[in-house]
Amino acid sequence: MLRPSAFEYHKPETLDQALALLAEFGDEGRPLAGGQSLVPMMNLRLARPQHLVDINDLGLEAIERDGPILRIGALVRHERYLTDPLIGALMPVFQEGVHYIGHPTIRRHGSIGGSLAHADPTAELPLLAVLYDAQIVVRSVNGERRVAAAAFFHGAYMTAIDPGEMIVAVEFPIPQTAAAGAFIEVGERRGDFALAAVAVQLAIDGGRIGTASVACSGAAQHAIRLPELERALIGKPLGEPAPENEIARIAGALKPPGDHAASADYRRALLKTLLTRATATACARAREIS
Amino acid sequence: MSQKMDRPKHVGARIQRFEDTRFLSGTARYIDDIRPPNVLHLSFVRAQVAHGKILDIDTSGLEFLDFPVQFFTGADIGDLSIKAHQDFPEMQYSEQPLLARERVRFVGEPVVAVLADDSYQAEDAAEMVFVDYEPLPAVATMAQARDPEVPGLFDGWKTNVFIERQMKGGDIAKARAEAAHVFTRTYSTQRQAGVPMEGRGVVAEYNPSDRMLTVWSSTQIPHLLRTYLSEELGWPESRLRVIAPDVGGGFGVKGQVFVEEVLVPWLALKTGRPVKWIEDRREHLTASIHARDHQHTLEAYVSADGRLLGLKADISVDVGAYSTFPFTAAGDPGMAAKVMPGPYDFQHYEATFRALASNKCPIGTYRGVGRPSAVFAQERLMDDIAKELGLDPIEFRLKNIIREFPYKNALGFTYDPGSYAETLEKIQELVAQDRAAALASRGDPNKRIGVGLACFVEQTAHGTPDFTRRRVPIETGYIAARVEMTPDGQAIVEVGLQNHGQGHETVFAQVAADALGIAPQHVHVRHGDTLTTPYSVGTWGSRGGALGGGAVHMAAGKLADKLKAIAGHLLQADAKTIVLKDGLAHPEGEPGRHVAVAKLARAALRNVGELPQGMEPGLEAQVSLDGPADGTYANAVHAAVVEIDIHSGKLELKRFVVAEDCGTILNPLVVDGQVRGGVVQGIGSALFEHFIYDEDCQPLTTTFADYLMPLAPEIPDIELHHFETPTPLTPLGAKGLGEGGAIGPAAAIANAVADALQVEVQSTPLNANAVWRLSAHARGDLHDG
Amino acid sequence: MNVTLTVNGTQRTITVESRRLLADVLRQEFNLSGVHIGCAHGACGCCTVHVDGAPKLSCLTFAGQCDGKSISTVEVLGGVEAEHPLQAAFRSEHGLQCGYCTPGFVMTLAPFVDDRVAEGRMPDDLEIREAMSGNICRCTGYHGIVAAVRKAIGDRLAKGTQA
Repeated sequence: MLRPSAFEYHKPETLDQALALLAEFGDEGRPLAGGQSLVPMMNLRLARPQHLVDINDLGLEAIERDGPILRIGALVRHERYLTDPLIGALMPVFQEGVHYIGHPTIRRHGSIGGSLAHADPTAELPLLAVLYDAQIVVRSVNGERRVAAAAFFHGAYMTAIDPGEMIVAVEFPIPQTAAAGAFIEVGERRGDFALAAVAVQLAIDGGRIGTASVACSGAAQHAIRLPELERALIGKPLGEPAPENEIARIAGALKPPGDHAASADYRRALLKTLLTRATATACARAREIS
Repeated sequence: MSQKMDRPKHVGARIQRFEDTRFLSGTARYIDDIRPPNVLHLSFVRAQVAHGKILDIDTSGLEFLDFPVQFFTGADIGDLSIKAHQDFPEMQYSEQPLLARERVRFVGEPVVAVLADDSYQAEDAAEMVFVDYEPLPAVATMAQARDPEVPGLFDGWKTNVFIERQMKGGDIAKARAEAAHVFTRTYSTQRQAGVPMEGRGVVAEYNPSDRMLTVWSSTQIPHLLRTYLSEELGWPESRLRVIAPDVGGGFGVKGQVFVEEVLVPWLALKTGRPVKWIEDRREHLTASIHARDHQHTLEAYVSADGRLLGLKADISVDVGAYSTFPFTAAGDPGMAAKVMPGPYDFQHYEATFRALASNKCPIGTYRGVGRPSAVFAQERLMDDIAKELGLDPIEFRLKNIIREFPYKNALGFTYDPGSYAETLEKIQELVAQDRAAALASRGDPNKRIGVGLACFVEQTAHGTPDFTRRRVPIETGYIAARVEMTPDGQAIVEVGLQNHGQGHETVFAQVAADALGIAPQHVHVRHGDTLTTPYSVGTWGSRGGALGGGAVHMAAGKLADKLKAIAGHLLQADAKTIVLKDGLAHPEGEPGRHVAVAKLARAALRNVGELPQGMEPGLEAQVSLDGPADGTYANAVHAAVVEIDIHSGKLELKRFVVAEDCGTILNPLVVDGQVRGGVVQGIGSALFEHFIYDEDCQPLTTTFADYLMPLAPEIPDIELHHFETPTPLTPLGAKGLGEGGAIGPAAAIANAVADALQVEVQSTPLNANAVWRLSAHARGDLHDG
Repeated sequence: MNVTLTVNGTQRTITVESRRLLADVLRQEFNLSGVHIGCAHGACGCCTVHVDGAPKLSCLTFAGQCDGKSISTVEVLGGVEAEHPLQAAFRSEHGLQCGYCTPGFVMTLAPFVDDRVAEGRMPDDLEIREAMSGNICRCTGYHGIVAAVRKAIGDRLAKGTQA
């Protein structure tokens, strides 16, 4: 039948009420956001929360600029990014990545908080959070804490969120200098979770790469950064071709998981290809704006 | 009668489907819409190990539930089972009990039936039952199945081979001796399935007032199910009614009798309440039926001048844990062996084919049945031979294609006329530019283009002798139609088919309307209910249009003869000259001297005093039409154009072109839809769809997140080119149509990939990982391949 | 729990268990047989309905979440004769066969058609195909559905946007 086991549904009107409920229920409670990941798990009875705390109407739907930070409320739906002027102007790579998420109905209802909390190994938003060094703002009755994206994902479907906590926002540092980047993903079909994906963000310093941020999914049980490649890119002239040998060496050392969808060898080779292409595309885009 | 009189008015017209409105408006009634009062909902406890002895079934948890629940296990159901035996001494006997007894043989096999008043509660209750197994080693591979050291899955089995037989014609040794070239290759096609968007479901209700046991099932074969139920439950068939309501896709999947279909009515009788089971998607993907899973080793004997002299085939199919009814474990391997000679002219053929058992979901029929795998092997081989001999693959085919009809193939099957060479030449012309582009892409550092094609004939609508020869429980293949006219001059057509997308309600109305001289809108086509429709084998094997349409044509023709006799009497004209058209009957050439068809109907049914002396009142006729002994052969050529990113393995299907011939086209709208829909399923077979088991036979693809079917963005427009060679073997000249679309794509796409990458492609699916692996040669980087 | 839903224009308060999926409640409490469940895990689009005007998967939505919301199903789109222009286009372009996925496609695509007509532009094939990428049709190969969307938009653009 694929129907969920019984639970109690709660619809708090304020964030404080929601946090109080989550504190009360601990392990047995789960926040319900867009439901696009949690409800399938519940229907398959792979998740069996005793209490669902509906957080859809708590006003967590703002995208706001706060100095050097772009704060995205936990309940912002994916489709918003495609038309949001702030995202378009400040974080085009983010927007590029969002195009790969699911299909229109999923994008209309799925939320950033839900996607990050679900922590699918190759989902796009976790990869973008890692790329941008986002801070995930997690709150409970005991207060608020910020977890760096790099420390947030502990494995496939595992995060730093403790019982009683929920994501309230995700804070993205706004690139402060001229920047360009690229997001490339390969999945079996359009909208599928990626076999592998790569995101690159380059800060431009004159005609050269200032700082670089390179993240990928498909290389581990969660999105990771490739600091070695980032270091190798710093200072490189934008006109130079992507450092293929360096990329090949770094990709060659990756130990991606192999499963029925893709072998480890294939994922490694795919990452090499995507890293090369994303880097080259990012450089080309950087040249256009510098 | 003149040609002019015979020319159909409605058959061949592109008429929008009458049935569409109820589907578009949400008023259609599918199995889950059957909601008898006081119904019990059934949920299953299914095997979680692939192979094991049942040590204990612990139902004590059910006692703690706060709602009433009933449960049944294998111990309760006696020896009720699915028995699907092919009557050859070589066949090893097996049965699938309705609920597992002592042993489970695949993950998903039903073990305990749990009933509750509410479907959510039934699922809660099923979770409270714990089954303890002693795990046994799983038979997971074809090699294990053939290993005589591996214990049999059933008591008394010597090996895990259901059956192994041979088929031959001509003299294969002669072909080998005369051959200048011998080519041996092995090709395999993966385990997948039809996966209709509506899963299975069964509802049963016993009414003591008229002693009728009514069973609703999402099935393609209501009459066959009725007979099976009668025999297995020992229930008089006259007191059994099977209704297939609107069925949300079948594709062959719903063309078997399943354990659940027997169990649900048994439970209704046992509990005295209606019982309902609606399959969920995980059950469907693990425990309905699977398809394909073939491995073929072919040896081709070719003359010095590039002529096929003979073919030897060794065909293995992993058919899973049980033999399925009514086509048995031998259905797929037997079909592959039978159709392997294909559209090519050679007279020496020998096939060894076997059905291998494993601890996986049973294999059953799915669109094409054996043919997609056979055509994949055969057409991959044609390309591999052409490449090795340095021949153009299309020219090589044209050299070997059958051109003269009727043609008796190596196995003695007679092909009726078709357009084999013409369709091939048409495709040759259509893809010429793509082939040039493919050639030009050979040195490209990133993208390679490839063009591939598949050329095939398809035996369709075959009649009883074909099943007698196979000694399978299906036994026959006829379709019956009853046509009745009501006193208002409208008609009711009742067919023993089940319409689940094929357009029967429109096409048969067109056929009957032409015969009766009335509008198709005035013909009500009914199907899917054994109480009202004449006994037939149901909808499968590409026989709906050819035989169902033929039976309607013949039955309506009989009725028309009676109408003409009445009209002749009333108009005082020779009945032989009467024409029925536009609701009127008149002597040919005298449209002014007419009587309304409705008046004739009224005369036959109400004002019977107006009938000619001695004429029996009433206005209905019934015809059962068996298929031609060897079937009628449809033919097609499919061509695929692919572009491959050799570094990522991403394949884009740029173009897919079909030139096909299904004889007389009854309704072009429906024909186009059937072909295109089949093609896209074939594209799924070629690229994505794969049921994967691990080495312990645990299924890994149990949701739509893992079992990947084509979505719209991956699919190009499917270009169609029709050829129309009417067959003399069916009343309307129509050949079978429903399955053909799905037969060619795996071969065509694999050939396109082989062309793009200049490698031999031996298996499907060609997913990104597989294409990347095959691109190693093109990357010039064999180490990371 | 008590839930007040406005379904196809009629408001009703019902008592349901909190775990009941909107799809089941629409089918069982409101007798809306046009809501079909294809996978019950959000991967096929068969159960798409409109919640406050926007397409939503009713198998991933609890009825309890919809308190106070307005829900439309395929039944209200063009009535029993299926007279909505997109439904008519599905008929003329053979955009359906077995019909099981059809209500989900129609409910997913009707707002897409409206939006493109409002913009006054004909989308290309890939955009149309992308719009239906959350819906699986196993019968048609999508060809007729793409053609139906194109026709529905084209007819209304040709007529002006009053439809």
